[in-house]
Amino acid sequence: MMMFNALLKKLMNRGDDSKNVAKKRLKFALVYDKLEIKEDMLEDLQRDLIEVISRYFEIDRQHMSLDIERSEESSALIMNTPILAARHKKPQPDNARA
Amino acid sequence: MDGKVVVVTSGKGGVGKTTVTSSLGAALALQGKRVAVVDMDIGLRNLDVIMGLENRIVFNVVDVVQGRCKLKQAMIKDRRINNLYLIPASQSDEKNVIQPENMKWLCNRLKKEFDFTLLDCPAGIEQGFKNSIEAADEAIVVCMPEISSVRDADRVIGLLYSRSITPKLVVNRIIPKMVEKGDMLSHKDVVEVLSIDLIGLVEMDESVVVSSNTGLPIVMQKESKAGRAFMQIAMRMNGHPDLPVEDPMAPKSFWKKLGGKISRKNKVH
Ligand SMILES: Nc1ncnc2c1ncn2[C@@H]1O[C@H](COP(=O)(O)OP(=O)(O)OP(=O)(O)O)[C@@H](O)[C@H]1O
Ligand SMILES: [Mg+2]
Repeated sequence: MMMFNALLKKLMNRGDDSKNVAKKRLKFALVYDKLEIKEDMLEDLQRDLIEVISRYFEIDRQHMSLDIERSEESSALIMNTPILAARHKKPQPDNARA
Repeated sequence: MDGKVVVVTSGKGGVGKTTVTSSLGAALALQGKRVAVVDMDIGLRNLDVIMGLENRIVFNVVDVVQGRCKLKQAMIKDRRINNLYLIPASQSDEKNVIQPENMKWLCNRLKKEFDFTLLDCPAGIEQGFKNSIEAADEAIVVCMPEISSVRDADRVIGLLYSRSITPKLVVNRIIPKMVEKGDMLSHKDVVEVLSIDLIGLVEMDESVVVSSNTGLPIVMQKESKAGRAFMQIAMRMNGHPDLPVEDPMAPKSFWKKLGGKISRKNKVH
C-alpha cells in the first residue's frame, strides 16, 4: 500500500514534491544572502557615484537617493537624482586632475 | 615535486567532514600515495578516534606550530595502512592559538614529504576555517542534500573562490529511497543550485557508523557502499578525474519496477 501511494504521488503531482519546495526556497535564500551588504557600503557607493556623476552634471545632492529594491524575481539598484544642469566642459581624465 | 594540500570543509557542522577526511586519507594511502591528515578542529578533536589512533597521541598540531616538538614527533603512523599519518588536534587549546602564518609554514613542510595533505576543517567560518584554507591548494566541500547544509556550502564556496580556490563537491548522506519519492534533494538539484563540479556521492550507510564504532577505516570494510564511493573519490583526486560518478539508487522492488514502467509510458503520451 505504501509503495502504491508513493507511486500515485509520483504520477499525480510532480511539482509539489517536498524537494521541489526545498529547491525553490534554497534558490531564493541564496540570492538574498548574496544581496546582503555591509552597512557602510551603500554610503561609500553613493559618495563614489556623486563624484563620477558630478563630472558630467550638476546634481542636487540633497535629494539624491540610492536603494536596493528586491522582489521575488529580481533585484535592482535604484538611483534617483535631480539634475540641475549639464556641465559642458569636457571632463578631464582622472590622472590629469590632481 | 611538492604534494597537494586539500582542505575538507562544509560550513555547517556534522555533515561528514571528518568521515570524508579519514576515508579519503585511507583510500589515497591504499592507492599508494603518501598521505598526512591533519585535524584542524582545535579543542574538539575527533579525527583521531574515527581513525582508531586516539590512544597513541603524544604531541599535537599546536605543539608543532609552537615549537614544543618536532613535526615528526606529532605524526602518528597508521599501522594498518602504509604511508598514512595523522597529526591530531589539541584538545585543550582554542582555535586562535594557531595563526594563518603557522599553517603556511606547516603545510609547506608537509608538502615536501607527502603527496596529499588533507585538512579536516572545523565547522563554521571563523578562525579555524581561516587557518584551514590559508595554505590549501584545493578544497572539497561536503554537504548533505538538505536546505541548510546546501546554503552553508554556498557561503563557504564563495569564500573559497575569493581565495582563488575552485572547490569540488561531495554530497554525503544521500538516502536514495527518499530521493526517488521526491522527499530529498537529489545530487542533481544540489549541483544545479551550487553550480560547482561534483567529485563524489556518498549514501547514508550503516557501515559508516559501524566503522566509527571500531575505528576501522570504512574503505577497508568489504561490501560497504560508502567505502566504495570513497575509493572512487580518491581515484578522481589521484589522476583519474574523469572516472564517472555513479548515481546512488534504492534497490528496486517489484512495485517500483512496475511503477517505473507506468510512468515511462505516461511520459510518452
Ligand atoms: N554517509 C554516512 N552514512 C551514515 N552516517 C554518516 C555518513 N557520513 C557521516 N555520518 C555520521 O554523521 C555524523 C557526523 O559526521 P562527521 O563527524 O564526519 O561530521 P563533521 O562534519 O566532521 O562534524 P563536525 O562539524 O562536528 O566536525 C557521525 O556520526 C558520522 O558517523
Ligand atoms: Mg569533524
